[in-house]
Amino acid sequence: MSAYPKSHNPFADDDDEEDSGRAAPRRGFNFDDDPEESSLSPAERRQRQLQQEVMRTAQSAVDSSHRSLGLIYESEKVGAETAEELIRQGEALKRTERMIDNMEQDMRTSQRHINTIKSVWGGMVNYFKGKPEPPKPAQKDQPVSYEANSRLQNALVESKQQEDKYQASHPNLRKLDTSGFGASASLDNGPPDQNGYPKNKQLQAAHHQLDNNLDEMSLGLGRLKNLGLGLQSEIDDQDVSLDSLLNKVDSMDGKISSTNRQLKNLK
Amino acid sequence: MDYSGKEKEALAIMAEADKKMKTSHSMFGTFFGSSSKVEEACEMYVRAGNMFKMAKNWSAAGDAFCKAAQLHLRVQNKHDAAVNFLDAGNAFKKSDPQEAVSCFCQAIDIYTDMGRFNIAGKHHISIAEIYESELLDIEKAISHYEQAADYFKGESSTSSANKCLLKVANYAAQMEQYQKAIEIYEQIGTYAMDTTLLKYGAKDYFFKAALCHFCVDMLNCKLAVQKYEELFPAFSDARECRLLKKLLDAYEEQNIDAYADAVREFDSIARLDQWQTTMILRIKRTIQDENDDLR
Repeated sequence: MSAYPKSHNPFADDDDEEDSGRAAPRRGFNFDDDPEESSLSPAERRQRQLQQEVMRTAQSAVDSSHRSLGLIYESEKVGAETAEELIRQGEALKRTERMIDNMEQDMRTSQRHINTIKSVWGGMVNYFKGKPEPPKPAQKDQPVSYEANSRLQNALVESKQQEDKYQASHPNLRKLDTSGFGASASLDNGPPDQNGYPKNKQLQAAHHQLDNNLDEMSLGLGRLKNLGLGLQSEIDDQDVSLDSLLNKVDSMDGKISSTNRQLKNLK
Repeated sequence: MDYSGKEKEALAIMAEADKKMKTSHSMFGTFFGSSSKVEEACEMYVRAGNMFKMAKNWSAAGDAFCKAAQLHLRVQNKHDAAVNFLDAGNAFKKSDPQEAVSCFCQAIDIYTDMGRFNIAGKHHISIAEIYESELLDIEKAISHYEQAADYFKGESSTSSANKCLLKVANYAAQMEQYQKAIEIYEQIGTYAMDTTLLKYGAKDYFFKAALCHFCVDMLNCKLAVQKYEELFPAFSDARECRLLKKLLDAYEEQNIDAYADAVREFDSIARLDQWQTTMILRIKRTIQDENDDLR
């Protein structure tokens, strides 16, 4: 994702030095002009120390990126399972709403019967009132298969298109061409670095791995974000239907208790 | 709490209820007061059952609930009968799984009679779970899960149906009925990839289907992976797909170390679960067998 421009990686210069065996003035280090002395000159010792530290840091970075990747995948798994549960819950809610509508229908019928029983006048009123209204248009006879919120589908398509444009404009995401840096710093030191990677093979491998992991992490995070957004819109929908369900159940409760009272009085 | 006291009370109530039933058997009882007597007896059986539950005497509780249920059936009170059978089943779950299964079955019969397939399906799942854990009869568990899935499909509760089908597929694959498992996983995978929320789990299903293909034959697996990639482009980005390709290559070269390395690498980032590990080990064993044959 991000490039490693040579100017920000002072340690990479060490590796050039190590390979070439030449001394050259570098930022932050005062070397003698001839490092051909014993390999244990203080400068070289320091150099080795720093190199080891570099390797350690790189390794720990790779390890931590591994762990982060693992965590991201775990979150994705948990999110996917949550999504399944949510959808199941949504189906149950829709079913419940349908059943409550049915109950309301039945309650109305029984109310009519009670009116007829209570008094002759009530029965005549019923006759004039006519049949109870047909079920509300929202209720369908055929159980409709539950469709999760699809608003997100459009958002997904849009965001994919935006992604490319975003990458091109954002400074960090641009793949910088740093071969120029390499050429200037290493003079005639063999082929220039590829993309600002340090020459040391191990370090190169570590950085390569880190780059891969970071790429995967970014992809995973993108997926997680979309999953989260989808879950949010699903929960919002279910919230709304829960509220309406609550109202219906409350009114149903009232109707049932009043019907019970009427039945008791009929005796 | 003094549980033994409760138990004595419960026994006393049971005895009283039994007496009530006996008296209502007289000629006049059946004509006049029997219905109220029967209902009273039912209520007493239920109370006794609850007290047995408090005293943790599960078989006695189950018996009490069963008696109550049968009384309800006699007076054509199906709802209450079914509910009591369920209570009986739950009580027996802890002491006598076989009895529990029979109680649940009776309850399911009543519910299917009334047309409440959703609830019947839910109880099929309970029975299947008993077979899974206590009685360890995987075949019967599978058949109950299948029945539950059919009921749920009939009521358009696709997600509940899918949950049951997944269990069926898991067990089928473990018992080497790979064809069945493959069909189920592919079906669920194609369904999932079309849904906005479920598509994040779709790659998992395709991965499992591909593993089953692999257990059957490597060539099948290759074709399957290609087919899934075409069907579901996001599958090719998934780590599982990369693992599959590495495993296929290792298998072609009969290289056990590469195989083990690929598995270890995948495992380091995210653990493989029990089922997947079993499948992968089976495939590994086939490589080893072939290696031995060559030697």
